[in-house]
Amino acid sequence: MENKKLTFAFMDPPFENERTITFFRLVDAALDAGADIQVFAYEGAAALAFALQKAHGNSVHHRDTEQEAHPLTKDWVAALQKKAERLGRQLDWVNCGLCVDERGVNESIPGCKRGSPADLWRYADSSFNTLVIGTR
Amino acid sequence: MKKNYLFIQSQDLFYEARTSTQYKLAIALAEAQGNVSILLVQNAVLATRKGVNPAVYADLHRHNIDVYADELSLNQREISADNINEFVKPAPLNIVIDAMLNGDKVVWW
Amino acid sequence: MKILQIVEQAFRTLVEEQDDTILWLTQSMAGAGANVEVLLSGNAVYYAVMKNRQPVIKIGDWVQQEPADIPSDIDRMLAQNIPVYVLNSELEERGLNASMLRPSIKSINQVQLVDIYHQVDQVWQW
Repeated sequence: MENKKLTFAFMDPPFENERTITFFRLVDAALDAGADIQVFAYEGAAALAFALQKAHGNSVHHRDTEQEAHPLTKDWVAALQKKAERLGRQLDWVNCGLCVDERGVNESIPGCKRGSPADLWRYADSSFNTLVIGTR
Repeated sequence: MKKNYLFIQSQDLFYEARTSTQYKLAIALAEAQGNVSILLVQNAVLATRKGVNPAVYADLHRHNIDVYADELSLNQREISADNINEFVKPAPLNIVIDAMLNGDKVVWW
Repeated sequence: MKILQIVEQAFRTLVEEQDDTILWLTQSMAGAGANVEVLLSGNAVYYAVMKNRQPVIKIGDWVQQEPADIPSDIDRMLAQNIPVYVLNSELEERGLNASMLRPSIKSINQVQLVDIYHQVDQVWQW
């Protein structure tokens, strides 16, 4: 199959809305379909790859940190990067720089860059198709 | 030439008044040579359960609009495939990617 | 490639960001060469009739210095030759009408909106 590049723009922060997991599922499915991926993380989504996210135990669940194995969106980003590499696909990820600054989430995991809306346009213009997932 | 549209409906018609306007737009696009599909995701699938019976799915079907419901969203809510509205079909989320790779206009609601 | 930007979530970030983030993003993208048209939809039709800068907010001793200025944002987009549309029906259902629109904003009906959907290459609903 001819390789095609897809862009996703996403706006929601981690741990707030079901849109977040749907977005990650879509990127995962796009990799399965053989697409290269470009992500523009806007507003709260700029924290999805924040490196200082920390898993915790849960006393209500009677589980310590290891047992709880709490999901972290930075790990999902890393898992998608790893999958892309394994499949020989590209996964580029740009966080809106001003969004990162105002939220204090500058420290992203490796492979996630800082950018601006010009990057969203650059991504979209170089992609076969783009999906914007706005917040509500 | 027909234009292809896939709308991803994440808004729940129990809560969101906007959904009726959105479905009217989908019908208007279908009537104007659009090939329109809708994928319900997240809480949007709640209205597909048999017994809810909103007229909107039959209406969309009459206008040749295919309506799908994300299989995982259905499973998470324990709505089985044999217990959903006759005009809605369960589908995997990757129909979104198929549409994107087909060059369709894919729009998140 | 032409993009229809649909702005729908009105008043969401006006205080914290001192603008509407999608109007801001649209201006920024257009400055980078994007070919965009804008539909102010739903409650965002209010942006099409606004006349004034937002009121100043005070939180404790903190006083906002630069509140959002939606009319200026709209005017800047129009000055960038970005077409700005509103659906007449969405104005009317909110007690507004086309005579209240800022100059150069186009009031359209559903048939015209369908034409725009068909004509653009992508629809980005924010």
